[in-house]
Amino acid sequence: MTMSNARAGWTRRKFLTTTGAGIAASTLAAPMVWSQNIKDIVLRTTSGGTAATNALAQKAKEDTGITIQYTALDTDSVNSRVATQPNSYELAGLEYFSIKKLYPTGVLQPIDTKRIKYYDDIVPLFKTGKLNADSMEAQGTAPHTVNFVEDFESTDFASGETEWMTLIPTSYNADTLGIRTDMIDRKITSWADIMDPEFKGKSALVNIPSIGIMDAAMILEAMGEITYGDKGNMTRAEIDKTIEFLIRAKRDRHFRALWQSFDESINLMTSGEVVIQSMWSPAVAAVRSQGIPCVYQALNEGYRAWGGGTGIARHVTGLQLDAVYEYFNWYLSGWAGAYLNREGYYSAVLKTSKDYMTENEWGFWMEGKPATAPIVSPEGVKMEDVGAVRDGGSFEDRMGNIACWNSVMDEDRYMVMKWAEFATA
Amino acid sequence: MPTKDVELIGLTKRFGDSVAVKAIDLQIYEASYCCLLGPSGCGKSTTLRMIAGHEEVSEGDILVKGRQVTWQQPSKRGTAMMFQNYGLFPHLNVEENVAFSLRMQGVGKAERSRRARELIELVEMQAYLHRRPHELSGGQQQRVALARALSTEPSILLLDEPLSALDPFLRIRMREELKRFQRELGITFIHVTHSQDEALALGDQVVVMQDGEIRQSGTAREVYDTPSNEFVARFIGGHNILKTETGTVSVRADHMDLHVGGLPSEAGARARLGQVVALEYQGSRIRVTVSENPDQDEARHVVELSDRSFYAAPANPGDAVGISWSAADEHLLAPTHA
Amino acid sequence: MQPQAPKRPLFERLLPYMQIAPLALLLCFFLLIPLVMIVTVSFWNYNGFQVVPDIVLFNYTEMLGSATIWRTLFSTILFTLTTLAVTAALGFAIAYHIAFYVRTPLMRTVLFMACTIPFLTSNIIRMISWVPFLGRQGLINSMLMDIGLIDQPLDFLLYSRFAICLVYVYLFTLFMVTPLYNAMSRIDRSVIEAAIDAGATPVQIMFWVVLPLCKTGFAIGAVFVITVVMGDFVTVRIMGGGHSATTGYLILNQISLLQYPAACANAVMLLVVVMSAIGGLLRGVDIRKAL
Repeated sequence: MTMSNARAGWTRRKFLTTTGAGIAASTLAAPMVWSQNIKDIVLRTTSGGTAATNALAQKAKEDTGITIQYTALDTDSVNSRVATQPNSYELAGLEYFSIKKLYPTGVLQPIDTKRIKYYDDIVPLFKTGKLNADSMEAQGTAPHTVNFVEDFESTDFASGETEWMTLIPTSYNADTLGIRTDMIDRKITSWADIMDPEFKGKSALVNIPSIGIMDAAMILEAMGEITYGDKGNMTRAEIDKTIEFLIRAKRDRHFRALWQSFDESINLMTSGEVVIQSMWSPAVAAVRSQGIPCVYQALNEGYRAWGGGTGIARHVTGLQLDAVYEYFNWYLSGWAGAYLNREGYYSAVLKTSKDYMTENEWGFWMEGKPATAPIVSPEGVKMEDVGAVRDGGSFEDRMGNIACWNSVMDEDRYMVMKWAEFATA
Repeated sequence: MPTKDVELIGLTKRFGDSVAVKAIDLQIYEASYCCLLGPSGCGKSTTLRMIAGHEEVSEGDILVKGRQVTWQQPSKRGTAMMFQNYGLFPHLNVEENVAFSLRMQGVGKAERSRRARELIELVEMQAYLHRRPHELSGGQQQRVALARALSTEPSILLLDEPLSALDPFLRIRMREELKRFQRELGITFIHVTHSQDEALALGDQVVVMQDGEIRQSGTAREVYDTPSNEFVARFIGGHNILKTETGTVSVRADHMDLHVGGLPSEAGARARLGQVVALEYQGSRIRVTVSENPDQDEARHVVELSDRSFYAAPANPGDAVGISWSAADEHLLAPTHA
Repeated sequence: MQPQAPKRPLFERLLPYMQIAPLALLLCFFLLIPLVMIVTVSFWNYNGFQVVPDIVLFNYTEMLGSATIWRTLFSTILFTLTTLAVTAALGFAIAYHIAFYVRTPLMRTVLFMACTIPFLTSNIIRMISWVPFLGRQGLINSMLMDIGLIDQPLDFLLYSRFAICLVYVYLFTLFMVTPLYNAMSRIDRSVIEAAIDAGATPVQIMFWVVLPLCKTGFAIGAVFVITVVMGDFVTVRIMGGGHSATTGYLILNQISLLQYPAACANAVMLLVVVMSAIGGLLRGVDIRKAL
């Protein structure tokens, strides 16, 4: 159906069938009755790899009629595009540490929480920063600190929950070290273990400054080399000391390689070049799906967490904006959440996604229970056998044990410069 | 009896299935100027290159100064080659070009410069010591090439069409110089050319080749006066080929007589009747082409007359004329090879 | 008074300009404008996520005062020189073989094709295919360990300067082979034969005749190699495993961190270095002879 038809007015018959379909849909617990005139809307979405799955776009199109046009880029490129070409997208998939610097540039508009149907069900991590009352106090750029602004025009972050959100949380996770259990004899329990001389020339770090420095901080603190005031906001002296340590380790050839892309980390691990390294959850899954024993090892000091969400470009208004809110409501309504959960991420609204997962899946991914049937990835690849337990356990065990969030430091520029020194040493 | 500088025995060169040089035998005498003459593709250049050692011999032998050199390296044969386009080293100046072989032998700088300069003076190029080849004229390049070839003190100098890149005026001057050098140096020159003028002017010995075979070898005078077969007579030029009762004969064009207004009775069988089809004024001589039958190429004859005798009884194109020759000027030709 | 010469028609006067217009426009759009932009932006200011039009010098002062930048530039130049030396030697050997030892034109074509066919696939794929070969558990290491030559895998084979240079040589030797072959095939055979006549050995001919006559070939090949190696950031990233850096890689990192002005300043420096290298090269060798 075209726009001109929509404007021409509804025939009685069409009105009835539409309403009928709507009623049918709601009785089947389908998300919502999507109004017909947003069917032709295209939302250009620039986003990092994690959320940019074609499957989500396809399903969104089926359910809502909205076309989501993904441009998948790496984290840094997304930031640069969002900041420098604000008219090239309607939606931006960003990480929370980026929004800290990006939102104040005024390229995005806030999200009206009143129009978000499942707002109340969003995991409290994004609203208050606490998963539950006794969660540990995480350092770094915690999402809730940059998730709200005072009003529509403001570019300053609010100190608490308001009606205006900077990003709708989409996916998040707790990161740790990946290890090759078949090539390591001992038990790995601490971030410090990566520096064990045993792993000289067999370890790797991520070479993305903002993330690499955090992994480094976790390692150095665990080794007792440095106790940081805030790992997510280091002083120059702390940065100097950290980089100095890293350069020494690198010159000593302790690191086999520094990796920059997801695929590189998979190759390093599958080829056996590296047995312990910074890793991301789906990379571990990819290594494991090749039949190579790789564990996303839970460590005593806790996890380094990251969160991603979707923001709206300033220029979006009217019908297009309506479509955005419908898309957001669809995104939080369960199917997408279940999809993300099954990929090993976590979704923002757990309650709805549960409806789209089997009891076995929910038990394995979210509750840390042994699988009662084989676990299959959303793409249909068998990932785990019966009896397998997720590394790190349940959602609460993992997200409740965050030591630090990915962050942007006040001394960011200095840190990046120093990191370059390490990368080129 | 003079000694032989170069001797070729049953020399053959095959390229795949085709034979470029067919078992030729040739003897070249000491300190002589020998010209290998023939149309392109006759095998003369291949023969020269085999003597030089730049082409492998398929069969046969090459002797230089009585020494078997067939499988010897080019530099060990006592030969030196002067190439058609001179083959000068473009990156080296005149002195360095000439001193190249000395340098390869490890001769010291001062000695090699002294000897190179001697040769350069010989060819009168001392004013151009530091020029590169591309800064020299064709004639100058050739002198340098000559000096360079002489730097290995060869007993045989092989020249591959050395004058073909020069303009006609320069060609005649250089030809004189080559002859002078050969005489003064007292070594054998073997010179490949397709120009009969050049061969006759230079050669103590002229070797006419066709289809990889030697058709005639002798002094310039022998070859010109008494061509041994029709091919040689035609290629060398200036001859009329005539069929008589005794066989095919050749008569030099300048030994023919022209008769305006009918043949004298004493001419007998050694005469033909025809029409003047072309007149060529060549200064001291006039070339008259007479045709017995305009449809037949073989029926064309050339009479060369001194201007004095021509203008005593001039003929015009279209005139009916008679031509005749005397028995003494007749030279019997061997049948031409198939 | 002299009668005024009649003016040529407008079209005729404009014709020469129209003839150069396509090239001029092309150069303007694809060379001049981007260059001006790079130079302009190199004077701009920036913070974490924004680039601010301004005229500041600190992109340059920061760059010139940074040991990292100088070390990286030095490392880039070292990579370039190493690659130049090896590709020149290897390219010369290959071209020499094809030009002087392969007799039939068909075989020459076949050998050239053999050299070029790998270039029909992606650079990155050809690069990455070295990884399983050179790795700790790669073919070379397992072979050497199997035959007992070593008992610990050789780590320097991968993620090292060696690996980077190896791939540079692998990728760029053809850039040398082609112009060198071209130069060699222009050498008159009689020049070689003259050298043989002069008693030069094959080695002497190679060094005293062929090598100097390949000067333009080397120069053209060097222009290519210098340009691609100085600008490289992919090979160094994939084969270096983060252990080495080039200026191009540094620029890439700066761009990804939205430090466009700093990246532009670096690009300007790189441009100056590459241009002076090539300028110096072309002062010494007149490559027009080979074109």
